[in-house]
Formats: sequence, C-alpha cells, structure tokens
Amino acid sequence: MFPLAALPYTDTVVVLGALVLGLTSGVLGTFAVLRQRSLVGDAVAHSTLPGVCVAFLVAGVKDVPGLLVGAAVAGLVAALLMVGIERTGRIKPDTAIGVVLSGFFSLGVVLLTHIASTADADQAGLENYLFGQAAGLLASDVVVMAVLGGVALLVVGALRRALTTTLFDSSYAGSIGLPVRALEVLMTGLLVVAVVIGVRVVGAILMVAMLVVPTVVARQLADRFTYVLPLAGVVGAVVGITGSLLATRAALPTGPVIVLVGFSIAVAAVLLAPGRGVLWRASRLANRRRRVLRDAVLVSPGAPMRSVGDRMARASLRRSGLLDDHGLTPAGHRAADELADRRALWSAWLEHGALVDLPDAREPDPTDLRGSLGDDAVAQLRLLSAGGRRG
Amino acid sequence: MGDAVLGDSIVIIVVAGLVATACGLLGPFLVLRRIALLSDAVSHAVLPGIVAVWLVWQTRAPLPVVVGAAAFAVLCVLGIDALRASGLMASDAAIALVFPALFSLGVLGVTRFADGIHLDLDSTIYGEIAFVPFDAIDLGGGVGVARAGVTLAVVVVLNLLLVTLLWKELKATTFDPAFGATVRLRPQLLSRLLLVAVAVTAVSAFEAVGAILVVTMLIVPAATAYLLTDRLVVMVALAVGVGWVGAIAGHSLAIAYDSSIAGAMGLVCAACFVLALLLSPKHGLLTRRLRRRAGVASAP
Repeated sequence: MFPLAALPYTDTVVVLGALVLGLTSGVLGTFAVLRQRSLVGDAVAHSTLPGVCVAFLVAGVKDVPGLLVGAAVAGLVAALLMVGIERTGRIKPDTAIGVVLSGFFSLGVVLLTHIASTADADQAGLENYLFGQAAGLLASDVVVMAVLGGVALLVVGALRRALTTTLFDSSYAGSIGLPVRALEVLMTGLLVVAVVIGVRVVGAILMVAMLVVPTVVARQLADRFTYVLPLAGVVGAVVGITGSLLATRAALPTGPVIVLVGFSIAVAAVLLAPGRGVLWRASRLANRRRRVLRDAVLVSPGAPMRSVGDRMARASLRRSGLLDDHGLTPAGHRAADELADRRALWSAWLEHGALVDLPDAREPDPTDLRGSLGDDAVAQLRLLSAGGRRG
Repeated sequence: MGDAVLGDSIVIIVVAGLVATACGLLGPFLVLRRIALLSDAVSHAVLPGIVAVWLVWQTRAPLPVVVGAAAFAVLCVLGIDALRASGLMASDAAIALVFPALFSLGVLGVTRFADGIHLDLDSTIYGEIAFVPFDAIDLGGGVGVARAGVTLAVVVVLNLLLVTLLWKELKATTFDPAFGATVRLRPQLLSRLLLVAVAVTAVSAFEAVGAILVVTMLIVPAATAYLLTDRLVVMVALAVGVGWVGAIAGHSLAIAYDSSIAGAMGLVCAACFVLALLLSPKHGLLTRRLRRRAGVASAP
C-alpha cells in the first residue's frame, strides 16, 4: 500500500480497481482458457449490449444498478445459450460463441437504433458501455467489484476439487457422481460475473485480455493446475497494477495500457519461460544437433566434411583439444571410446533392459545411462550383454 | 423519387449480397477449422492500421485506409498463426492474445495523436451500409456504380478463384491436415492463404457495411449450413444462400421497422440458424426428438 500513498485519490481508486479486476478475472479466466473457450468472455461482453438497452427501455433512465442488472441477465442468457448450442453436438464451441456473439450484438445494434429514434437525449452514450471508462471509476464501484469478486473466488476455493475434475475429465467427474452440468453452468456463471464487473470499467476488448493473458503466462510457468490457478490470479493483479500505474504516469487511457502490458508479459513468457519457452526449446534443440554432429566426427574423424555444421563441430573439437591435423588426439581417442561404450550400453539396455533388476522405477536417459539408472544396473547390463554374446 | 429509393434499396441489397457471397465462400472453412472467431479478431485488429494511415498521411481516403487496415489484418492473422504453431496454446487463446493488443494500440493512437479529429470507433466498427449508395464512382458510360459494390465484386471473384482452384487442397487440409501434409499439400501455406483471404475480405467489407455484419456473415450462415448438410460443396452453397436470405429479408425488416439495416440482417441470419438448429432434417433438436419418439412408438 505504501507506494500508493503518493498517488492522488482518483488514481489510487483506479489502481485498486485494476488490482481487483486482474485478480478475479485471472482466476476465473483459467477455467475458460483451459477448456479452449477463451473467447467466451468476448461474446458475453458483447452480449451485454441488448441487456443494457432493454434495461434502459424498461427503466427509462440511465441509472447504473439497473443497467448492470440488465447486462448481467443478458450475459448469463448468452453464456447459457452457448453451452446449450454446444451441447447439441453438431456445432463446435468456437462457432457457438461466434453465433451467439453476432446474434446478440445485432440485436443490441437494432435496439440502439430503436432507442435513438424514440427516446430523448438521455440515451446518448449508451453504447459507450461496451468501451468502458476506467478513469470514471468510483470508490463504491471498487467495493462492489471487490465483494462480487471475493464471493466468486471463495466459491472457486470451496469447490476447487470438483471444478478441477470437471474441467479436465468431465466423463470421469460424472461417473463419480459430481453434478457435471451444474458445475459447468457454475463455471460459466462465474465468468459472467467477472465480465459484467469488468466491462463497465475497462471495456469488452480489454476484458478478453484480462481473462486470457494471466492463464497463458501462468501455464508457461507451471505445470500443475493447483499452481496455475493462484499464479494466474497473481499475474492478473500484477498486470492490472503495472498497467494502471504506467497509464496514470503517462496520462494515457488505462484500459489499452493494461492490455499492452499484459500482451508484452505474455509474449515474454511464451519466448522465455524456463523449459517451455520458445527460445529455451530452440536452444535445447540446437545443443542436441551440435552434440550429434560432434559425436559423428568422433566416431569417424576421417570422413569428408559435408556441411557447415560438420565444419563447426570439427572446430569445436579442435578447440577442446580432441582433434588435430593428424586426426584424434589421445584425449580424443578417450572421448571416442567413452562414446562407443555409452552407445553399447544403450543397445544393451534396449536388448536386455527387461531383465535388469531395479530397486524402483527409473527413467533411462540415453545420453547418461549410468547417471539415470545407477552403477548397479549398469554392472548388471554389462554382465547380461557379455552373457548374451557368449550364448 | 420513388425510383431513387427503390434504386438505393437494390444497391444496398446487392452490396450486402456480395458481402454474403464473399463471406459464404470462406466461412465454411473457418467453421470447419474451428477458427470462426478469427473474423471477430480481424474486425478489431484493423484499427491501428487506420490510425497509422491517418497519422502518417493525414487522410481518410478509402484506398490508403484499406491498405493500412489490410496490413494490420494480415499481421493479426499471421501473429495468431505463429503463436498457435508454437504449440504452447490453443488457437482460441492465440486469437484472444493478439487482437486486444492490436486494438489497444489503435485506441492509444486515437487518444494520443488523433484526438479531436473525426476518427471515432463508430466509423470503423459500425460502418454504415445505408450510406453505400451515396458513394458512387463512374465506370465509364456515365453510369454511376456504388464504389463498395465494385470493390466487393472484385473480392468475390478473388475468393471464388481461390476456393475453386484450390478446392481439393483446401478440403483435404481442412478435414485432415496430417493427410494433407503426407501428400505434400502444404497445409500451413494453405491455412495462411485462407487467413489472408479472410483478412482481405473482412477489410474490404468493413468499410462498406461495418464490422458486425461481416463477422455475422462469416460465421452464422456457415454454421446454419453445417447443420443442414454433410457435404462441403452443399455447405458452401447453402452458406451463400443463407447470407442472401439475411440480406434481402433483413433489408425489408429494417425498412419496415426503421431500424439498423446491418443489425436486422444479422438478426435474420441468427433466426435462420435457430430454425436450422431446431428443424434440420438430420441434426435438428426437434426432428431428433420426434425421430426418437417415433422409434420408441414403432418398437414392439
């Protein structure tokens, strides 16, 4: 809280709002993204437009709670329709999302023109509902968001196990007696809560980013769902705070800055995440290619040079003193013998591996069989392969 | 006067029909490849292109704007394709990452540099089909033709060429990309070609009829057709047909109730989808239920 003390009051409210929204949508978005329905949020956000219009037509004034209820009802109906269309079996999730999005948004546009031609000037700006206005956020809005988001997160926390099982294996969840349909509706309903809170604050498009970015980043950093879920919340909160602070510093609109911060973090995670990142995988692949070429030179140092990679492998062997102008050096011969021994051990494992007596389950590593299986197993293998040759 | 209104109506219907044709040719492939929402992504991702053209050349003339928008649309689809090809996320997550970022870039551009000029979101996201007849060009012979109609006719021809010339290849890689790769059809190249065609179609249609109608015409008629048939060639023909029904019926509804033309066309398409969902001979909800009941009744 300390750095926030230096901010003016209105900025503090915006930053807190972005924090609450990022945390909530990060966690709730995980369920949508991992079920490959990332754009449900987009469709729900656009589907709130007819709800807002109908609420305005019924109430006749632009009072905020009424519009919020209208938006929530329309969003929920749209979300349930998507689930229903998908359940008929023929239509795939993305098409169901697209059909509901365009149908509801068309309805919203028709209602907007109807309102514009009949109602008084009070309707102006109704369509701005979809674009959001974080700068106009009030402290009371943040409190409402925090309460709704808190309730949603509590529900997720309480039903964590059931929701996880339904998410990853719904037929198993059904077979152990979980109410799968109710849980799916609950997941969808929670998403609608997040979207309805978010749309008015940050707009429909930003909502999509807030739901998807945290999960993509968290998934890059963790393999287990129990870590991904809280991590997504943390990432969402960090993105929200960083983006809104940057926006207030640079006097830019909050929503787009948050999206761009989130996008940059996501791209960084896709490229750099340890183990899973694109660059990480590329370097691992390049290492493996280099080793294969180096081993090929060690096995037959006299072979003619065929490629650039071959040349580079020879240069690297020369640098480490394994190769000179006359062929392999003594150290090079030792390395070649070691390589031959490793390969012989691996073929012995492939041939006799089933007969080796291991104290526990171990994963053999072709590049380092001794290290992965232990000295005892290697001794057994040597014995077995020697016996195999004799017999 | 009556003739002029009638003429305008025909121009609007023909332009919407051309959009329906261009979209109907590509929509089925998007639906079958499960990337229907790409159209929505493209519709938002063009904004920075339009803003950039304004910032650099200070113009809102149609040709540079379309070129700028198309550049960003292609950037958007290729970015999505690259993220998807990394294997780290599903295509829906890739779509949801890329287009909000591009849209935000456009919004920042508008608020930061182009504030105060008439470059609002409405003009890009809700392009108005009712104004199509007023923007005519002379094709020679003194006859004015709606500019949007000419552009869209070119796009329709291009899409038709793409789909007919590469029909076999597109079909094979849509249903079985692995098979397509084994017989050297280059699924990735075909997929990019299709995505670029979608981007170009969407951009040239936005300018005339607005984003929401383009998104609707790409997804809803194809989804309706998918409920009605199991054959790809029939599906494409049906998608184009449903689009035309939406264009004609939507226009008359909009005139009757004095409402948004694009919105009404979208609603008619959605209504066609609901009808197909309920009544399709093979996949309809009601027909399946009736068949099951008949099956139960005829069983001993």
